[in-house]
Amino acid sequence: MPRFKLYYLFTVINASLVTAITAQEIDPLEVRPSLVEPRVSLPTELIAVPVVNPGEYYVPPKVEDIPDDKYGDMVRWGREIFVNTQVHGRRFVGNGLNCSSCHLSEGRQPYAMPLWAAYGMYPQYRSKNREVITIQERIQDCFRYSLDGIAPTLDTPEMEALVTYMHWLSKDVPIGVELPGRGLAPISRTRSPSHINGEIVYKTRCAMCHGEDGKGQKHKNGVGYMFPPLWGGDSFNRGAGMNKIRRAARYIKANMPLGAGYTLTDMEAWDVANYMWIHYRPFDPRVGWFLNALGPKPGGGW
Amino acid sequence: MWKKSYFILSALVISGLGMLLLVYLQSHRSASFETAVEMGEQLAQQGREDIPACTGCHGGSGEGNRGLGYPRLAGLHPDYIRKQLRDFARNPLDIGVKVDAIARDYTKTPRIYKDLTVYSPGIRSDAIMNPIAKALTPEEIDNLSEYYARLPFKARPVAADFQTLENGRELAARGKPEYMMPRCSACHGPNGEGFGAIFPPLSGQPPQYIINQINKWQRGERDNDNLAIMKNISNLLTDGDKKTIAAYFDNMSYEVNQ
Repeated sequence: MPRFKLYYLFTVINASLVTAITAQEIDPLEVRPSLVEPRVSLPTELIAVPVVNPGEYYVPPKVEDIPDDKYGDMVRWGREIFVNTQVHGRRFVGNGLNCSSCHLSEGRQPYAMPLWAAYGMYPQYRSKNREVITIQERIQDCFRYSLDGIAPTLDTPEMEALVTYMHWLSKDVPIGVELPGRGLAPISRTRSPSHINGEIVYKTRCAMCHGEDGKGQKHKNGVGYMFPPLWGGDSFNRGAGMNKIRRAARYIKANMPLGAGYTLTDMEAWDVANYMWIHYRPFDPRVGWFLNALGPKPGGGW
Repeated sequence: MWKKSYFILSALVISGLGMLLLVYLQSHRSASFETAVEMGEQLAQQGREDIPACTGCHGGSGEGNRGLGYPRLAGLHPDYIRKQLRDFARNPLDIGVKVDAIARDYTKTPRIYKDLTVYSPGIRSDAIMNPIAKALTPEEIDNLSEYYARLPFKARPVAADFQTLENGRELAARGKPEYMMPRCSACHGPNGEGFGAIFPPLSGQPPQYIINQINKWQRGERDNDNLAIMKNISNLLTDGDKKTIAAYFDNMSYEVNQ
């Protein structure tokens, strides 16, 4: 018994010595890949912010020019639903977002999924639905996933109003032509996105509006959000397109921080999109709670 | 039976002591707060050596000066006033950073130093306010902020012509999306009433003040906004836009602390 104890002691000492020696053997000058990019006080990164030239993007008609007839009434109501979905589309919405939370400037901003660039491209084949869908079916998916609610049927007055608003907004737009500013901005990727770097970016650039906890900030009167929630129960669900890291990164690159787009580098946009993605959000309505809770989270690839 | 009554008695005594402590703390805190506000009021009304009274330019109740474009201070967020006074007092960095006027040639792609624009230390140059803010102590800055944040204010909307209001609403509610410029109401509130400590109200400010500030951002004399957002937006505004948006927010009804 004592002999065994002694042997045990020797092995422990030996093991600790071995670890100490191996720890010393690592070259201190060895370059190790770090998740957090080093920062210095002097400017090292030069970012090119593209400047928009006049006439580069399509300019939709003005709200003041909506005609004063039945068509114009429908356009006005569609705009109300689009801008203030929390009030005018209340019966279909399941979270705290509006359509214009993502489609910036009432669906007019280029590279923020503008309505005028999408209207002429439908009907189109969509791999998510695995069939050719019309613009109404596309809006249904917006309600089902991004607004985490109930898809309005094709003949609801709200759906007709929204389609009329899109039709009015894309006046003189050619059919089946990809306009500049359509969808989201292109983005490059040089390494895997890291949510650790993304947390640093989030705390320094995003948290002042979207909150430290990412739950957004409500209006003073309590109806809807001034700054929309990025995750949590009031945000889009796991089936939404914005839940894909790549898509969120492309959105962030061109539009965020609001008013200072393109000031994040491509990889910073990827990192902060990854940090958004790792948080809780409502379940994907296409599969049951079992797969949602235990299955792989959708949207991680690129 | 005895044990139960003792338990209830001790619980009552402890909770009573806790309530007394709470009341004491509350009164103590509010008393110190009141003195801070009073000291701020005294400084604002009378000034001291090296510092003229704030009321000379900013009005007797902090309502500002429309003719000369001096801002309203009544009802602003205390943290906002505090930050502005600190930025007025800060020396511009002497590390060789030169803030140029904006690139007027829109065919060129401007290149920005990310580290400098994002982590701007907060510079706000003004011939009148810089020496005053440098003479203020941190306690005086706090007192003034709390005093002006508690003053009531009610705006008197000024009429403007229909076309100006339409264009102003276009900028306030939709911005200029074809130039990637967001709307004013996205950060400054749906009616320009401001949001939190970062985004100040535009309603109830003298229109000349708003125009002056956008001009200062364009000239690089003011560089204390978070993430250089307002600087970027100012570079996208024309002279007509400035006048339009100032007239639009001058037309808004607005009241605070009423």
